[in-house]
Amino acid sequence: MSEPVRIDEVTWEIPPTARPDMRVPARLFADDELLDAIREDRSLEQLENVATLPGIVEAAMAMPDIHQGYGFPVGGLAATAPPDGVVSPGGVGYDINCGVRLLVLPLTAAELGKRKESLVHEISRRAPAGAGKEAALRLKGAKLDRVLTEGPRALLERGIGTEDDVTHTESEGRLDGADPDAVSERARERGSGQLGTVGSGNHFIEVQRVERVIDADAAAAYGLERDQVTVLIHSGSRGLGHQVCTDYVKRMDAALSRHAIELPDRQLACAPLDSDEGRDYLGAMAAAANFAWANRAAIAHSVRASLRQVMGDEAADETQQVYDVAHNVAKLETHNGREVCVHRKGATRAFPAGHPEIPADHREVGQAVFIPGSMGTSSFVLAGRPGSMERSFGTTCHGAGRLMSRTQARKRIQGAELRRELEARGITVRCPSNKGLSEEAPFAYKDVEKVVAVVERAGLAARVAQLRPIGVVKG
Amino acid sequence: MYGWVDHTAELELRIEAASEGAVFEEALAALGELLSEHSDPDVSGEPVSFAVWASAPDRATLLAEWLSELVYLVETERFVPRRAERLDLGEDWLDAEVSGSRAAPPHLVKAVTYHRLAMKQQGGTWRAAVVLDV
Repeated sequence: MSEPVRIDEVTWEIPPTARPDMRVPARLFADDELLDAIREDRSLEQLENVATLPGIVEAAMAMPDIHQGYGFPVGGLAATAPPDGVVSPGGVGYDINCGVRLLVLPLTAAELGKRKESLVHEISRRAPAGAGKEAALRLKGAKLDRVLTEGPRALLERGIGTEDDVTHTESEGRLDGADPDAVSERARERGSGQLGTVGSGNHFIEVQRVERVIDADAAAAYGLERDQVTVLIHSGSRGLGHQVCTDYVKRMDAALSRHAIELPDRQLACAPLDSDEGRDYLGAMAAAANFAWANRAAIAHSVRASLRQVMGDEAADETQQVYDVAHNVAKLETHNGREVCVHRKGATRAFPAGHPEIPADHREVGQAVFIPGSMGTSSFVLAGRPGSMERSFGTTCHGAGRLMSRTQARKRIQGAELRRELEARGITVRCPSNKGLSEEAPFAYKDVEKVVAVVERAGLAARVAQLRPIGVVKG
Repeated sequence: MYGWVDHTAELELRIEAASEGAVFEEALAALGELLSEHSDPDVSGEPVSFAVWASAPDRATLLAEWLSELVYLVETERFVPRRAERLDLGEDWLDAEVSGSRAAPPHLVKAVTYHRLAMKQQGGTWRAAVVLDV
């Protein structure tokens, strides 16, 4: 692996001459300290591999939360353009449209008071978190097809979500071109009982308090005030998305020689955007993305039902959705007058003020972006800035980024001990697995404040508010 | 014999065995143990068995397919694999009967990747590596 060259204060680049198979530079946003951590794993080598993809334009890019993945690094971004451009399921990842949704409650942390424990408990009961937990909403056949095609809008007639929630969702929760026929029966089986479930791993529901407002105008546009209670939902397309990715990595891997594509890593399996494999994947991926937005809508419905139970109708009815953003997705977008397929794997769209795809009431301040910290540390609300369009295809970071493996984290702290530590800091924890809890310990992740500072200095996004956890539900 | 190598976003399974068939049996045992470690101990589960068939153009891909079939059964049938009662290998296919229990295993493994996927014979030993997305 080559050593990155500093381009400016927070931008580094490995030139395409570093390897004979690189077509574009590998570009990274980081400060010196984060770069030192990034050098510890193989993420830069993986970024160089991404730079070999046919039809990639500008650069293979990485955000400061980059860490080693499989094929693509997590925290990576690649834009490909016709006629040679490819789409790569690995560039989206197995958890298609993993993303975050922020709800803002009509009460302060003081007003929630001691009922916080009951609220966290009720959320954990109604929104199944953890492996193998089944959803109350089990959809099959044409009913599942509607969700795959229409996303959360298909759930409105069931009383799940509101029109306002839908308009405050990236792409209004529906990617064009979704093709249920391109989703395998096996993917449908895996997803049919999982709508409204959080899942395991790093997925969670967090109850938070707005600790600090940094940009008052943007915070006002997003409906955020100091000390207000928020709920952050982090989940994705569950088994349905995992199977869609599995199916298309296999299919594209088998078709590589037919398309005369050579790759340094089989997990980068890809196909031209205008090939049968490429078109079918984009249709299936869009369907899985729509399923994920519906999943987060169903989880938000459970949060509102919990609020109704614990705090009454007014609290539930006046809970608003700030926004919902994807951080694992491929989208056809126009940048600099050219249509490109932007792969975001552990990276978030961050369009600046004035962009027509931003909800009307946010358009003057820029698209809302949510950056979860590690469990027990702050999360940030950001707003997209013009630099994202100029430098990163309208993209910013997605989280803190893992620093150590799950086993390393487990060796350092027992789940029960971590649970006690979090409770001592005023964070109510509901997690059925002590192992799962310790694997997500705060020290297993990079410092989210340093990650956010880099994207702000790079001009990709700017801080709006800081959120402090007061309760967490984990799988 | 198998072992796990832990990375930031994945688990890598490494296997050494005396025969091709034993590699597949070890992979099943490793997955079963991983799931058991993370399962709810209160759920003992009834004995259950399934037929598994997979095909692939080479042995390494067949190993990934085998594990993918088991992951699918874990998620849709609540299956915790214990052993292969029968395992027949053809040139590009695998036909097996697997047994275990129906319990409440975690959906710990999202997928079986092709990243650094390998299976080859070195001397008298078969060595394999497969990376799981967890």
